[in-house]
Amino acid sequence: MRYLGFRLLQSIFLLLGVSLLSFIFVEAAPGNYFDEMRLNPRITNETVAQLRQDYGLNQTLPIRYVHWLSSVSRGELGFSFAYDSPVAPLLWSRARNTLLLTGSSIAMAWLVALPWGILSAAKRKAWIDHASSVIMAILLAAPDVLLALGLLLFAARTRLLPVGGLASLATKSGMWPEVRDVAVHLFGPVLILVLISLPTLVRHVRAAMIEAIDSPCVHAARAHGIPRSRILCRHALPLALNPLISLFALSLGSLLSASLLVEVVMSWPGLGPLLLDAILARDVYVIIGSVMIASLFLIGGMLLGDVLLFLVDPRIRTEGLA
Amino acid sequence: MKPRPCLLNFALLVMLFVLSGPSAFTQPPRSTEDLFISDNPVGRTGGNLVVSLRSEPKTLNPVTSTDVSSREVIAQLTSDMIHINRSSQRTEPAIAKAWKVSANGLQYRLELRHGLRFSDGSAFDADDVVFSFKVYLDEHVHSPQRDTLIVAGKPIVVRKLDQYTISVELSQPYAAAERLFDSVAILPRRLLEPAYNDGKLDQAWGLGTPPQLIAGLGPFRLKSYVPGQSLTLERNPYYWKVDKAGNRLPYLNELTYVFVANADAEAIRFQAGDTDIINRLNADDYSVLEKDEHAGSFHLQDIGSSLEFNFLFFNLNSSLPSQLVRKQIWFRDARFRQAVSLAIDRNAMVRVVYRGRGTPLWTPVTPANNLWVDTSIPHPARSVEDAKKILISAGFVWNAEGVLLDKSNSPVEFTIITSASNAQRVKMATMIQSDLKDLGIQVQVVSLDFHSVLDRIFQTHDYEAAVLGLGAGDVDPSAEMNVWMSSGNDHVWDLGEPHPSTPWEAEIDRLMEEQLSATKRRKRKALYDRVQEILAEQAPIICLASPDILVGAKNEIENFKPAALDPHTLWNSPELFLSSGGSL
Repeated sequence: MRYLGFRLLQSIFLLLGVSLLSFIFVEAAPGNYFDEMRLNPRITNETVAQLRQDYGLNQTLPIRYVHWLSSVSRGELGFSFAYDSPVAPLLWSRARNTLLLTGSSIAMAWLVALPWGILSAAKRKAWIDHASSVIMAILLAAPDVLLALGLLLFAARTRLLPVGGLASLATKSGMWPEVRDVAVHLFGPVLILVLISLPTLVRHVRAAMIEAIDSPCVHAARAHGIPRSRILCRHALPLALNPLISLFALSLGSLLSASLLVEVVMSWPGLGPLLLDAILARDVYVIIGSVMIASLFLIGGMLLGDVLLFLVDPRIRTEGLA
Repeated sequence: MKPRPCLLNFALLVMLFVLSGPSAFTQPPRSTEDLFISDNPVGRTGGNLVVSLRSEPKTLNPVTSTDVSSREVIAQLTSDMIHINRSSQRTEPAIAKAWKVSANGLQYRLELRHGLRFSDGSAFDADDVVFSFKVYLDEHVHSPQRDTLIVAGKPIVVRKLDQYTISVELSQPYAAAERLFDSVAILPRRLLEPAYNDGKLDQAWGLGTPPQLIAGLGPFRLKSYVPGQSLTLERNPYYWKVDKAGNRLPYLNELTYVFVANADAEAIRFQAGDTDIINRLNADDYSVLEKDEHAGSFHLQDIGSSLEFNFLFFNLNSSLPSQLVRKQIWFRDARFRQAVSLAIDRNAMVRVVYRGRGTPLWTPVTPANNLWVDTSIPHPARSVEDAKKILISAGFVWNAEGVLLDKSNSPVEFTIITSASNAQRVKMATMIQSDLKDLGIQVQVVSLDFHSVLDRIFQTHDYEAAVLGLGAGDVDPSAEMNVWMSSGNDHVWDLGEPHPSTPWEAEIDRLMEEQLSATKRRKRKALYDRVQEILAEQAPIICLASPDILVGAKNEIENFKPAALDPHTLWNSPELFLSSGGSL
């Protein structure tokens, strides 16, 4: 508990640091939200200057930071210039969709990567391992946007999959048709995200398993005549778990940020399009709010990873107790 | 025979439903209503249309909205008093059915349509108009629309004369006065006055506002909004337009906007049949979709040049770093600018950048502006030889390596900045770089984030040359006062001049002022033609090319008449109908 409390305290300071750095970086970028209005010949400089003042952009960075902290305490996460509304409701309504997408894709990716990596490690240097390496290299080399656009084109040509979005526009009656509709729409973006993350996961699982298979205790188990499948699952896999748990924690941490590009291309109504819009328009508090939520998830993921390692690895438990 | 109880109940329910207030069922025209009769072919009622929007609307508040997407949706929810017909580019009656101008041109008397109702069923009259203008003109509201309602530095004055008549007073005659009213949405006083009195008008009519609290005089009203996904409008049952057969418009039951953040994805969704109309395609996507046009259920249209003009300009601002001042000796010489203009191959630019679907430009007024374009402006073809002759006359020479040198024997080289997010402009800058190599000019192209480009042009003036694009929201010269007047905010090549720095800029100032108060269109045209001639001669901006407006629609959509003015495809949404009458 003391360990957890310490990590939580650390996390709060970390979030404060992230927010301060975000403010400094956003401030360093030239231009602001109202600059684009200057290209409109019908809007005068005076109006633009007045709007800058009204929205507090003329205030110094420390004052704006303090105002932002006070809005965080009210649960608003700042004020969006574009939407004329607090940032938090804008983010939460979309974060749910992002979580649905990334949660499903992370689960799917691990479900595929784990047996695939174990098989590759078990059949090291066999044809199956070489074929796996080639597939992973191709997936690693393919740009994410190309994969997404390729799938979109496939969906448009074949009509086998919906072409973007979260649900059909046609009204559906009942819960089951609605769930089915969302699942059908989810398939494409999830497939892309799985394909994007698979090479990294499979390579890590394979490397961790090879290291575990080569360890003296696994050699000893093999010498005792224990069946191969049992050695892999009962002896090698627990040995390989540590780095995989860290990787899993990292992937949980990227729950809100991993899918931004895919969301934009596939018109998934998550944080991606909102953030892209905000970056292009310099809607600074939406950008900072998104960074803060992503940081929160990253810290949460790391914390969960630490807890899992604490539970799984007796050495860490002993160190913790000492 | 007695009616059966269940039938009786049903009849009572229907009566209750009808009497209970606003209904999505179209209301039959009443004799007390002063309706606008559309002269378009009579269509069939029914069906839903799905259109993509590149970005999500940010608000439904006409007073505070500034982004294109919000304004596009708001245009379907609201109406203005006098409207610019997007096809003819001329004004036409809207909520005001007629108007008279006083002899001195200072007072407009507008007669409003009688008996109209907002989309929630509440009555409309002059109080709503007076309230709307009070809100737009209130300095504390900071509506971006306010600037358009200021004439000669003074806000227009709107007064109620009777329930359906208002007067609008101007401080000086204003040639484009009728056009001021376009896109100034008339607001329902009943719904918005409380928020205005509380000083919270800017927070009213956000995307989270319940549909029943939003009402307008537009063809549609809000039905639902799904964050990040779609926004659905339904037919306004009280809309003030009817067709020749007396059927109340619009024909469509619903209009749904889906948000697609990427141009390629937008084209793919249209190709797949997910969307029914595509409002603006780029040339690359157009050529891809073109292959499927005959096999598919849609058609594409290239309606010709847009109002957008892309141009190269040099930094002529004063008080700059010494290195820039040295280069400004070239930039300020009209002969240097003319030589650069002559060396640019605009036709090649259109072929490469827009795949031939664009128009080379020699003036900022594009052919799309058929009311004001000066067709007598010469269109000289690219000539490196002529450009070299002009440079020699300006004192430039070439060294043995063919590098252009100025009078102090310094090589002529400069950097063009442009927005990295606009691939077309980056290509234009690269082609200029290649063209000017033939003159011995070394050009570097630096593509930056759009806001950085704006910051350098408008704030720090830290640039040598830039490629930028501007697109007027209206065809009338009055919309461009800020660009051509030397004191204008968008006088990009030399911002914030207290006085015109050259005689030709002083002449442009005089001509623009004069055309603004001239009442005869012929005189205005002559004055604006002269402005275009000066711009072509002096080349403060070197116009390059204008992209064509490329749109697409399903074959089943009738009365589809895309126009050069925004919104290109849905400007006549009340008249659009489906040949089948049902959903697409």
